[in-house]
Amino acid sequence: MVTSVPILMDTRPSAPSTAPAAGKPTVRPPAVGASAVASPAALNLPAATTLIDIEQVDFFYGATQALADINLKIDDRKVTAFIGPSGCGKSTLLRCLNRMNDLIEGARVSRGTIRIRGVEIYQPDVDVIELRKRVGMVFQKSNPFPKSIYENITYGLRLQGRSDKSDLDAVVEKSLRGAALWDEVKDRLDTSGLGLSGGQQQRLCIARAIAVEPEVILMDEPCSALDPVATAKVEELIQTLRENYTIVIVTHNMQQAARCSDKTAFFYMGRLIEYADTRNIFTNPANPQTEAYVSGRFG
Amino acid sequence: MSESTATREPPAFAVSKKRLRLLGLTLDDAIKVFFGGNAFVSVIVLALITIFLFREGFGFFGQNRQNLRIYRQAGLEYVDFIRTQTDDHTALTRYLSDLRLRQLSFFLQEKKLSLADANAALAAFDDFADRFGTAIDPLRAMVSDLTEQATEIKTKFIVAGDKREERRQLTAEGKTADAAAVKIDEVNFTNELKPLLATLPTYRAVNRELEQKLKGVLDTAPPPPTPELAVRFDRFKDLVQIYVAGFPAVEKNLETWDYLKSVPVSQAFTAFVFGHEWLTASFWQDWYGVVPLFVGSLMVSLVALVIAVPFGVGAAIYVNQIATAAEQKFIKPCIEFISAIPSVVLGFFGIAVLGQALRLLSQQSWLSWVPGFPYSERLNILTAGCLLALLAVPTIFTLAEDALNNVPRAFKEASFALGASRLQTIVKIIVPASLSGIVSAVLLGLGRVIGETMVVLLCAGNRIAIPDFSAGLAVITQPVHTMTGIIAQEMGEVVRGGIHYRALFVVGLLLFLLSLLINYVAQGIVRRYRISIG
Amino acid sequence: MNIAAGGHIFQSQPNAARRWEHATFWLFRAATYLVLGCGLSVFATIVFKGTRALVKPEAPFINTTFFTDAPETLYVFTFEGKGYAQGDREHRAFIAAHPAAARVKAESYVYSAGGIFPCIVGTFLLVVGSMAIALTLGVCAAIYLNEYARDGAFIRFVRLAILNLAGVPSIVFGLFGFGMFVIGFKVFGVQFFGWNVSLAAGWFTLAFMVLPVVITASEESLKAVPMGFRAGSLALGATKWQTIRKNVLPYALPGILTSSILGIARVAGETAPIMFTAAYVVRDKLPWDVAKVSDFFFQGVMALPYHIYVVSSKIPQNEYTERVQYGTAFVFLLVVALIAATSILLRNKLRSRYQW
Ligand SMILES: Nc1ncnc2c1ncn2[C@@H]1O[C@H](COP(=O)(O)OP(=O)(O)O)[C@@H](O)[C@H]1O
Ligand SMILES: [Mg+2]
Repeated sequence: MVTSVPILMDTRPSAPSTAPAAGKPTVRPPAVGASAVASPAALNLPAATTLIDIEQVDFFYGATQALADINLKIDDRKVTAFIGPSGCGKSTLLRCLNRMNDLIEGARVSRGTIRIRGVEIYQPDVDVIELRKRVGMVFQKSNPFPKSIYENITYGLRLQGRSDKSDLDAVVEKSLRGAALWDEVKDRLDTSGLGLSGGQQQRLCIARAIAVEPEVILMDEPCSALDPVATAKVEELIQTLRENYTIVIVTHNMQQAARCSDKTAFFYMGRLIEYADTRNIFTNPANPQTEAYVSGRFG
Repeated sequence: MSESTATREPPAFAVSKKRLRLLGLTLDDAIKVFFGGNAFVSVIVLALITIFLFREGFGFFGQNRQNLRIYRQAGLEYVDFIRTQTDDHTALTRYLSDLRLRQLSFFLQEKKLSLADANAALAAFDDFADRFGTAIDPLRAMVSDLTEQATEIKTKFIVAGDKREERRQLTAEGKTADAAAVKIDEVNFTNELKPLLATLPTYRAVNRELEQKLKGVLDTAPPPPTPELAVRFDRFKDLVQIYVAGFPAVEKNLETWDYLKSVPVSQAFTAFVFGHEWLTASFWQDWYGVVPLFVGSLMVSLVALVIAVPFGVGAAIYVNQIATAAEQKFIKPCIEFISAIPSVVLGFFGIAVLGQALRLLSQQSWLSWVPGFPYSERLNILTAGCLLALLAVPTIFTLAEDALNNVPRAFKEASFALGASRLQTIVKIIVPASLSGIVSAVLLGLGRVIGETMVVLLCAGNRIAIPDFSAGLAVITQPVHTMTGIIAQEMGEVVRGGIHYRALFVVGLLLFLLSLLINYVAQGIVRRYRISIG
Repeated sequence: MNIAAGGHIFQSQPNAARRWEHATFWLFRAATYLVLGCGLSVFATIVFKGTRALVKPEAPFINTTFFTDAPETLYVFTFEGKGYAQGDREHRAFIAAHPAAARVKAESYVYSAGGIFPCIVGTFLLVVGSMAIALTLGVCAAIYLNEYARDGAFIRFVRLAILNLAGVPSIVFGLFGFGMFVIGFKVFGVQFFGWNVSLAAGWFTLAFMVLPVVITASEESLKAVPMGFRAGSLALGATKWQTIRKNVLPYALPGILTSSILGIARVAGETAPIMFTAAYVVRDKLPWDVAKVSDFFFQGVMALPYHIYVVSSKIPQNEYTERVQYGTAFVFLLVVALIAATSILLRNKLRSRYQW
C-alpha cells in the first residue's frame, strides 16, 4: 500500500511502541467481559499506555494533500478529541485509523506509519476487514440500517457467523445497555431502527459498533446533528464507554471536547498544531493559533 | 507482528487473517471479478454484434463483384444497353397514352361529345400512336432473342459453378470416384458470346430503320385540338428527337463493349451504396442497391419527426413549465403508457384503421388543396410516418422534459424578477438554455424511428423504388420500402450464405453504424451542453 | 397604461401580451392533449373491436376458447340455404355428419378460427427466460458499475458500450441473434451455438436487447441506497460482498424489479428480434410436448406479437378475420399495458415508501 513504509521502519531505531506496555502485563481484558465491572485500572493508572501511534503521516486525496507530517500517540482507554476548523483534516485522520479511506478513489497515505498496538495497519498483510472489526466507527450522520433494532445490533455478529439466538440476545442486551439505550427500546426490539429519535439513532449506532467488541471506537462529530438533550446523553455515554474502549472523537464543539476528552489534538490546515491534555489545551495552550481557536476567535 | 509480542500480550491486535485464495484471489476479489465480467458482457455483446454483422456481411462485396462480373461476361450488360432503348420507347408511348387521355377528356367534357364520337375524333391520333408503338417491334424482338442467349450463357455458368461445388463436396466426403464422375462444362465466354456479338450489324440496320420510322411517323402526326395540348405534343416531339439522338451513343457503347474488361472492386461497393435498384430473385440480373431503401427509411423518419418534434417538444414544455402539478401527474404516466404500446400493434392499427382513414380524409374535396391529396395507396410514407410519430413522441417528450428540468431554477427566477412574463421566460430563457438537450432528444427520437421495423414493414407500402421527388410534397403519399423492413421481410426466405443473405446483413450493418452515429452525435451535443451550463 | 379610478398601479390589466400568452399556452395544451388523444384512440379502437371478438352474449360472457385453443383455419360456406362459419375441427365433424357438404365450395381463412393459446404460452416463455438472463447479467453489471468500479478506461468503455447498445435497432439484434445463436459458428472445427430457431436463441437475443434498460434501472436503484448503509456496514467489519448482499441489494431490489418491469414490457412487445430467432408462424405442438427435456430449449414457439404480424399482413381484412386480428391485438395490448401499469404504479408507491 505505502511503499515508503518499510524504509521508514528500517531507519527508525526503536520499533513498536508496545515496549512500554511490558510494564503493564495485564493489558486489557476483553472489552465486553469488562463492561459490567468498572475497571479501576484505567482510572487509577496515571500514565496510560499508547495504543495508536501515528508517525510522520502524509495523506493525499489524489493530488491534494490533506494531512502533512502528523505525529500523534493516542492513549489506551482514554478519550482523545480532534478539534480544528472544518476542512483541516480531522475526519481524514480519523478515517485513516480504520482504513475507511481505502474506499475513496485516489486516497492514500503517502508517507509515515500508523501502528495500533504495535501493528502497522498499512502493511499489505493486514486484513482490512479484521482491522475494522477491532476499530469501530460512528458516523456524523446516524445511519441505522432500515432493519429492526435487534437486527441492527446483531448485524456485525451475524457477519462473523454467530447465529445462536441466546448468544445474540445476550449481546443485544449488553450492547444496548452499554449504549444506555436498553431501557428506552427493550420493548420494541423488533421495530425499525429508523423509527427512533435522532439521539436514539446515534446511540443505536454506538451500540451496534460496540456489539462487535472493538478496542477502539472512532466517532466523527457524532453529535453535530443532535439537539442539546440528545447530545448530553451521548456525552454521558462516552464517559462510561471510556472505561473499556479507546475513543477518538472528532468534534466541532469545543465545550464538548473540554467536557469529555482526556487529551485534545488541535489541527489546522492539515497539520497537527498542538496535542496535550485537554485541560492544558483549553486553559493554557502553548500555541497562539490554538489559543485563538479555543477562545473562539476563528473557525 | 513478532512472535514475542504475541506471546507477551494475549489479546494481541491480530489483524491479519489467512483467507482462502484461488489463483491469488480471495473470495471477495473473485466476486468482484465475477461482477466485472458481467459488466463486460455489454462490451462483448456490442463487439459480437459488430463481428457477426461483418462476418455475415463480409462476403457480400466479393460476391457482388462476381455478380457484376458475370453480368458482364455473359453479355447481360450488352443486352441491357439495347434494352434501355426499348425501355425509353415504352416511356414515350406512356406519354402518348397520357396525351390521349387528356384529349379524350377534352372532347368529352369541353366539347360534350359522346364517347363514340370522341373516339372517332381521336382515330387519326390512335393511328399515329399505333404506328409509333409498333415501330419498336423489330428491336424488341431482337432484345428478346438476345436476352434468351445471354440467359443461357449465364445459366451454363451457374450450372458449372454448382457442379464444381458438388465435386468439391464429394471430394471432401472422400468419394473421389463420384467426384471425378461429375462432369463440369467450363464456360468459354469468348465462344459463347460470338453469336451474340455477331448481331451487331443486324442491330445497326434495325436501329437505322427504327430511326427512319420514328421520324416518318412524327411528320404524319395529327395536330392536337387545344393550345395547351399542343404544347404537350411539342414536348413529346422534343423528347423523341432527344431519344433518337441518343442512338449513336448506344451503338458506340456496343462497339466498344468488352466482356473481358474487369469489374473493379470499388464497383461492387459503389453498386451497393449508390445503386438505385434493389432487385432480387430476378430471372435476369439481381441488383443490390441500397439507395431506395435508405431513401425510404429517411423519408418515413423525416415525416415522423416533422410531426413528432412539435408535439413532443411542445408537450414537454407544457408539462414542465405550464401545466399544474395535477396535470403533470396525469400526463406523464399517460405518455409512458403510449410508449409501451408495442410497435406491431401500432402497425396493425395502421393497416386496419389509420391507412383507410387517412385515404378517406384525403378524398374529401375540401382537402384537395393539400399536395398529394387525394391518393389511392392506403399504405404509404404518410401512414407509416404518422404511426412512427406516435412512437417517437414519448422518446422526445421524456428526454426533452429532462433537459428542461435541468435548467437551474435560478435562471427562471432571475427572469421573473426582471418582470418577464412566463411566456417570455420560456421562450427567451428556458428553451435556449435546454436547447442542446432538446436537440439531442430529437436525434435520439430519430434513432428510434429509423430503427423501427414492424410499423414500416406493415404500413409503408413495401414498394422498392425511390419515390418520385418530382411530385414535390406529394411524395409523402407514395409507398416505399425501408432498410429495416427489407431485412424483416426477406431474411426468412433467403439462402444462408448466398449473396442476397449477405446483402441483408450489410443493410443491417449500415443500420447499426447509423444508430451508432446518431448516438455519438447526440452524446456529443449533450456533453457540450453540460460544459456550457457549468 | 391606463389606471382606472379606484385601481392601484399593480392591478392586472387585460392587454395584448397577456392574451398572446394565453393563446400560446392553449396551443401547447392542445398539442399535449392531442398526443394523449391519439394514444387513446389507438387504445380505444383495439379495445372496442377486440372486446367484440372476446365477449359473447351468454354466460360466462368471455370467449374462453379464444384463450385456450390453438389457431385453426376458418371455413365459410353456405349449405342448404344456411350460412356457416366453422373452425377446422368443427368443419370436419360437420362434413362427416353431412357428406353432401364436402362438395360445397368453402372460403377458407387461415388462423381465423380457434384461439391463441400457443402464442400466449410462447410469449410467456420468451419473457420469463429472457428476463431471467437479462436480470442476472444486468443486476450483476450494475453492481459492478455502482459498487466496485473506479473511474478508469475500462469503466468508460463499458459505459460507452451500454449507451450505444441502447440505441441499436431491434432488427439488428435480430440479425445478430440469427447469426450467432441460430446459425452459430465454428472455431477450429468446434461448433458453437447453432441452435436453429429456438426458445434459447430468442432468450439470449431478447436478453441482450433489454440489457441496457436493466443495467440503467438497476444502477439507479443502487444509487438510491444511501452511502451511509455501506459505510456503516464496512465499519462493522463486513466485507464488500457482505455489505452489498446484506445491506445494499435488499433495499435496491424492489426498485430494480419495478423498473425492470418496463424492460419486460419491451421484451414482450418486440417482434423484430424474434422473427428469425424464435418465432414460428404456426406450430401444432405445445412447448412442453417434447421427447427430451433438452429439446424444450431448442424448439421454436409461436408468439403473440409475431402472430399479430402474421394475421395482419398475411390474411385479408374482412368480417371473418377481424375476430382473430383484433382479438389478438387486444389480448396483447392488455398484457403489455398491464405490465406497464404495474411498473408505473409500483414505482410511484416505492417512491413514497422508501425515504431514508
Ligand atoms: N473524498 C475526498 N476527496 C477529495 N478531497 C477530500 C475528500 N474528503 C475530504 N477532502 C479534502 O480534504 C481536506 C480535509 O477534509 P476533512 O478531513 O473532511 O476535514 P474535516 O473533517 O476536518 O472538516 C479538505 O480540504 C477536503 O476538501
Ligand atoms: Mg469532518
